[in-house]
Amino acid sequence: MLSDQALAAIAAERRKYPADQARSALLAALRIAQEEHGWLPTELIEEVAQVLEIPSIQAFEVATFYTMYDLKPVGKHKLCVCGSVSCFLNGSDDILAHLQKRLGIGIGETTADGLFTLQEVECLGACKDAPVLHLGDQYLERLTPEGIDALIEQLRGGSSDVR
Amino acid sequence: MPHIEIDGRELDVAAGTTILEAARQLGIYIPVFCYHPKLSIAANCRMCLVDVEKQWKPLPACATPCADGMKIQTRSAKAKAAQQGVLEFLLINHPLDCPVCDQGGECPLQDITMGYANPHSFYQEEKRVVADKDIGPLIATEMTRCIQCTRCVRFGQEIAGVMELGVVGRGEKEAISTYVSKAVSSELSGNMIDLCPVGALTSKPFRYKARSWELKHTPSLCPHCSTGCNTDVQSLGKDVLRVLPRANESVNEEWICDKGRFAYAGLSAEDRGLTPLLRVNGRLQAASWGEALQAAAGGLESVVRKHGPEAIAALISPESSNEELFLFQALFRALGVTHIEHRLRQTDFRADAAMPLYPALNMSLEDLERERTILLCHAFPREQQPLTNHRLRKAALAGATIYAIDTVLRPFNFPVQGLCPETGDDLGTYRRLEELLQGATARAEEGALARLATALRETEDPLLLIGNDALQHPQAAELLRAIQGVATAAGARLGWLANAGNAAGAWLLGCVPHRRPGGETVPGQRTPSWSTAHKAFVLYGVEPEYDSLAVEAAQQALQEAEFVLALGHFTGNLPEQVQVFLPLASWAESAGSFINNEGRLQSYRAAVKPAGEARPGWKVLRVLADHLGVAGLAFNDLDEVQSAWQGALGDFPLDVPAFAAFPELAPEAAAPLPEGHLRLLGDWTIYTADPLVRRAAPLRRPAVCRMHPQDLQARGLGSVIELRRAGRPVVTLPVQADASVPRGCLWLPLGTAESVALGGLQSSCTVGRASSRQAI
Ligand code: FES
Ligand code: FES
Repeated sequence: MLSDQALAAIAAERRKYPADQARSALLAALRIAQEEHGWLPTELIEEVAQVLEIPSIQAFEVATFYTMYDLKPVGKHKLCVCGSVSCFLNGSDDILAHLQKRLGIGIGETTADGLFTLQEVECLGACKDAPVLHLGDQYLERLTPEGIDALIEQLRGGSSDVR
Repeated sequence: MPHIEIDGRELDVAAGTTILEAARQLGIYIPVFCYHPKLSIAANCRMCLVDVEKQWKPLPACATPCADGMKIQTRSAKAKAAQQGVLEFLLINHPLDCPVCDQGGECPLQDITMGYANPHSFYQEEKRVVADKDIGPLIATEMTRCIQCTRCVRFGQEIAGVMELGVVGRGEKEAISTYVSKAVSSELSGNMIDLCPVGALTSKPFRYKARSWELKHTPSLCPHCSTGCNTDVQSLGKDVLRVLPRANESVNEEWICDKGRFAYAGLSAEDRGLTPLLRVNGRLQAASWGEALQAAAGGLESVVRKHGPEAIAALISPESSNEELFLFQALFRALGVTHIEHRLRQTDFRADAAMPLYPALNMSLEDLERERTILLCHAFPREQQPLTNHRLRKAALAGATIYAIDTVLRPFNFPVQGLCPETGDDLGTYRRLEELLQGATARAEEGALARLATALRETEDPLLLIGNDALQHPQAAELLRAIQGVATAAGARLGWLANAGNAAGAWLLGCVPHRRPGGETVPGQRTPSWSTAHKAFVLYGVEPEYDSLAVEAAQQALQEAEFVLALGHFTGNLPEQVQVFLPLASWAESAGSFINNEGRLQSYRAAVKPAGEARPGWKVLRVLADHLGVAGLAFNDLDEVQSAWQGALGDFPLDVPAFAAFPELAPEAAAPLPEGHLRLLGDWTIYTADPLVRRAAPLRRPAVCRMHPQDLQARGLGSVIELRRAGRPVVTLPVQADASVPRGCLWLPLGTAESVALGGLQSSCTVGRASSRQAI
């Protein structure tokens, strides 16, 4: 499944670490695989494990731990709402409920038009501005239902610069 | 040396000692879940939090090294609050199903909750539910009960040497899983059941059979291999319900393999022999002990009268106890029988004179861990002596280099530099290795062998271990001599991996034709066990077709026998020539002793009453002796038998020369293979190795044969093949492509219905595509 280019990129990552520490290159290798394929099907995770010569379960552990790795195809915009304690205490459940209603999908699902995927994630390390949402490489903080509405309109309108 | 104080008691500890270890030295109990002395420290359950002076947060005792002057409180208000807090969190998602949980009554979570938790819970929200996984026939999962201590994951990685379980997901979704739920395949997997501190992993065969406190515990031994693991047989009434390891640091530490743990399931097999049987009008029918013993004695006596006692072959299983082995040979030697034998898995006996007093490891199992360079000669301890293999694995992890020469490459669970002669000429490989060690120059294609020679030459005192496959080799005599040649040239020590549970006892107590108890030589010519020269056979605990290497010869010899007496545990595989069957109590139903690979004498007690009318072997032999008019064996109890064999054997050494002088070996020309035929190779697998384990349903695995991928390709074969003898299809088997099987060969799992149908390894066979109707 992996192209020669991806394999070369993984090999380059692998060389950064000592011979007996192939696991260290796993994060990068999974990222390279996902960038190429869009998401990480089981066979691809297995292939990455084989390339690095580590047990498949180790790759699987890492791929399921970080929410940045997608184990299913995702929409164009992946909205990752923090549900950990600070955000929870500041209303993340309401934000999630609002998003589910607006988008008509459940957590972990993707809208039919392929535009949005909704996810609940663990602490994003931005507790002081809870509740927090993570989108692409941007954080949106102190979320409110109104803010969410505006965000969705803007993304539907084609702009993903939401800062 | 840090000086510390725990709960007001002072102590000096070695640098690096953790608070938990120090507390244990003082006998102070700190509750733990994830900590285990044989596993790495994960510190993820937080149950062991203690209050350390000048630290505002409590610290995990299992992971915190003692520092000089530390003052630790394990029961202060702060420590108690921490313990209560941790338990409250752990119990948030733990179901309240203790009444239906098999772990109930032996559950650390239950116990520690009773001892340390706040009796009131504040949690009112929903509990999470984790989907169960099917991880195979041995371990039942109830993943909602899991507290993510990761002991099972660490066990797989660190002890079993296979990473099969892992932690997937994160936060609330974190769960233990196999990679996409494949069955856990390690031969040590059952130990994870013992390690699990909650009821997430429990024994599937034991599920819902009993509550742990109802079980009777009997200290016992595992009869299935020469490691001699100590076990705890747990029973309820007349049934053995489970077998657990009993800790013995010098033998099995605190583990046992899945064979030892689950083979008990075979005790209640449908074909368990519950009464004596007599053949009447061609059919075996239940008979009284009196009738059966009389018929047994009568049958043997008539053969002695007609053909002399030399016409009797007395064959006994090397998983019998010392007491049985001793009485067996004493009885038949007294009758004048010369062919007394336990070695049905050997066909070449030309090196008999060179064999050692008994197959001794020549060191302790613990010392094996400290070896630096080991060459395994035709040995696959991972399946044949799993807990001895564990010591080898520890040696490998500590930096030892381990080499293996064998007919096919075996899947070890530690790094092994395996050498499999592509041509199948393993004898030549040892001979070349000897030449290289003596300074011959290596040929270009001999790179691996030359490296091995260099390694052996450069290590001081390397170790060579001889395994089961060496004795099973068709040219065992030459092979053993070649191995000895390698050892001499390398200045190496030699040890044996004894090939059966009590093989050491069988040798020491004279269950070979050429030696009496203690090793005194019996002069005379030998015939093979399965020879038509034998007119009567006594089968003690053996199933001729399933336990012999020479299946065809066995079938033929039995065919022509005048009288066959079988003593054993099961009737399903009795040859049709058996006239009398006497049911024996199993190892769990009788007492006795075994001698393990180290020469360690260990005894076991009966856990349950014998099934049906079965009787302990030593009693049956004693009464049979009576019926045969053999004097001097009228022992009244097991102790008397024990003193008798100990008297006959005397003290035996733990260190024995691995070989005496080899006799002259006449070269034997191998018969050429007919055109298009495949040579048969094979071995007993871990779960087909003896009658009991073959009947343990949870351990049954489908038989798979192996061939070189190029052979498969050249013949256009798919994943299922038909094995043919004399052109006739005999069995259909799945085949696995395996490049380490030499070209022109087929590797077959022995002790299976398929290998029996094929007549064992004696001849060759042809193969073809399986017609789809027959495909499995
Ligand atoms: S709890 Fe949401 S960012 Fe930390
Ligand atoms: S026992 Fe110390 S953290 Fe689990």
